[in-house]
Amino acid sequence: MLKRLCLAAALAASAASAQDRPVVATVNYPLAWMAERLGGGAVEVLFPVPVGQDPSLWRPGLSDIAAIQQAAVIALNGAGYAPWTARSSLPRSRIVDTSVGFSDAYIATQSVTHSHGADGEHSHEGTASYTWLDFAQAAQQSEALATMMERRIPELADTLADTLPALQSDLAALDAQARSELAGLKGQTILATHPRYQYLARAYGLEIAALEWEAGAMPTDAQWTELSELSEAKGATLLLWEAAPPAGAIDRAQEMGIASTVFAPLANRPAEGDFLSAMRAAITSLAEATQR
Amino acid sequence: MNALFLAFAHLRWTWARSLVLILVGALILAVPMVTQTLLRGSEDALTRRAEATPLVLGARGSQLDLVMGAVYFSEDRAQPITRAAEDAVWDSGLGLPIPLNTAFQTNGARIVGTSLDYFDFRGLTLAEGRQMAILGEAVLGADVAQRLALGPGDTVVSAPENLFDLDGVYPLELQITGVLEPTGTPDDEAVFTDVKTAWVIAGIGHGHDDVVTADADGNVTANAAITEFQRITPENIDSFHFHGAAGGYPLSAVIVAPYDTRSGTILRGRYLDPENPVQLTDPSEVIAGLVDRIFRIAALLDAVTVIIGIAALGAIGLSLFLAWSLRAPEMQTARRLGAGRFTILRLATAEIAILLSCAMVLAAGIVLVVNANGDQLVAWLLAF
Repeated sequence: MLKRLCLAAALAASAASAQDRPVVATVNYPLAWMAERLGGGAVEVLFPVPVGQDPSLWRPGLSDIAAIQQAAVIALNGAGYAPWTARSSLPRSRIVDTSVGFSDAYIATQSVTHSHGADGEHSHEGTASYTWLDFAQAAQQSEALATMMERRIPELADTLADTLPALQSDLAALDAQARSELAGLKGQTILATHPRYQYLARAYGLEIAALEWEAGAMPTDAQWTELSELSEAKGATLLLWEAAPPAGAIDRAQEMGIASTVFAPLANRPAEGDFLSAMRAAITSLAEATQR
Repeated sequence: MNALFLAFAHLRWTWARSLVLILVGALILAVPMVTQTLLRGSEDALTRRAEATPLVLGARGSQLDLVMGAVYFSEDRAQPITRAAEDAVWDSGLGLPIPLNTAFQTNGARIVGTSLDYFDFRGLTLAEGRQMAILGEAVLGADVAQRLALGPGDTVVSAPENLFDLDGVYPLELQITGVLEPTGTPDDEAVFTDVKTAWVIAGIGHGHDDVVTADADGNVTANAAITEFQRITPENIDSFHFHGAAGGYPLSAVIVAPYDTRSGTILRGRYLDPENPVQLTDPSEVIAGLVDRIFRIAALLDAVTVIIGIAALGAIGLSLFLAWSLRAPEMQTARRLGAGRFTILRLATAEIAILLSCAMVLAAGIVLVVNANGDQLVAWLLAF
């Protein structure tokens, strides 16, 4: 009985503490991970995208937006990531665009020019938005987030003085690991199931040709044909999967002479580990895949 | 007592004349007090709101138009500026910029496109419903909601900037999500929406059906009659997009809340150059000048009121004198019946006392009604 009372009291205290803590809302997992690392237990990180959904395409419900509007800090990835943020009412005073500091280094993607009415011809130029896959850029994003957290939650200043250098150090180590382990892939074209890896490719000197496959789905015959043609055209023998494919897909690629490795960009929370451990494993796996 | 009874009986007999005299007397007494009430109320409202608005950024030109448009949402507005000016304040790290786009109206109420920071800045809270969350949603000021009998779940449609703007902006249906608590300020008379929604009304952002497939060069030409959505729904919201550089989107003004006094001083220094097309004004200084001018005019108004009051009192005296002249035969009859000279004087005094008392009661009623609704009247007056 006493144990139950203690447990109930502990749960109530924990709930009250969670309510009292300032909230940092984020649009993707890398930023949520950074906020967790930066704030420790002093902040509550709100990352409302359900597991298994792509945060870049997710559209929040009204209750999600209401919760995000109340957050002390709203961390956006920038570069056009999570377009719902451009169609929602969010308080600018609490928003931080974490990639604006290197916006001149954004990678432009294919644009479509069109015209209608009297507006004349215009185009919607896209921007590659998985900025954190260049880990030096991820470090800049973490710094921008820390600056905003300190401005909006001044009582975090002491915590941030310790956590930011540690986080930056880990990201620098990750960057160094990528530079070291992926150096052997320079000059070799790699195929990817989705165009997510532009910043990874640029930062670490990789040549990545992307398909437009749905993550986690079994490719259709037409897509296998497309893969075969692209592989021949580029002389590529390695395929990056955005998410673990269904059973048999890797074997079929292998039959076509294409080795596979899963390199999740970690836009959403991984099933195991955290951003750092999952990304380290993915880099190692990518480096080793070429040696097999 | 007999004199009062007889005087009241006579006044009741000549009720039309008595009523006119009471009304005129009440107006002579009430007008100066009502004027003072409204002037003091306007001064308080103007000064209070101006002092609660640290700085206003807008196009160089009339500071009064800029402040009246940005702070009181009046018809007088400065030329628009671009969002780049707002971004410059944000990037400076010296203050919080709150954008305002007040170019549009709906049902006689000003549509104020802004960010959620405005609600925190003014301390506005919702009386019912919820805060706006997505494009196309709006929150009503208390008076607008009451006047239009609208609430959460209802809609309003934006109107073009002017009657001759026939081929200009599309009317956009705004979904009302909430109604604000009354504040007795121009916020009660406004319809608030996200500044991005204001840009959709302006035609900078729009949503439409998919255009036809691109040609080999990636160029797509859609039918000129392509239908743009005039209502933002969960089904079509993803098709809404904005054209042009975000830095060029128009704003009527930007409220700037410096983080501290030093930041405010630095910011003001950055906009002193007369060649700069953007100016940063202190609303309290501009409004202090306006109030000073208003009170100079008010002093003149008081003098005019006194002169008119004296003339009106003379006219009342003359009408009473003429009335008593007409009653000369009646007085002679009373004297023959034994009424003394003082009895007739008492009758006249009682009549004047009754008229004056009624006029004072009516004047007090008018002043009380004006006082009770002073805030709304002042807010309504300031909105013009």
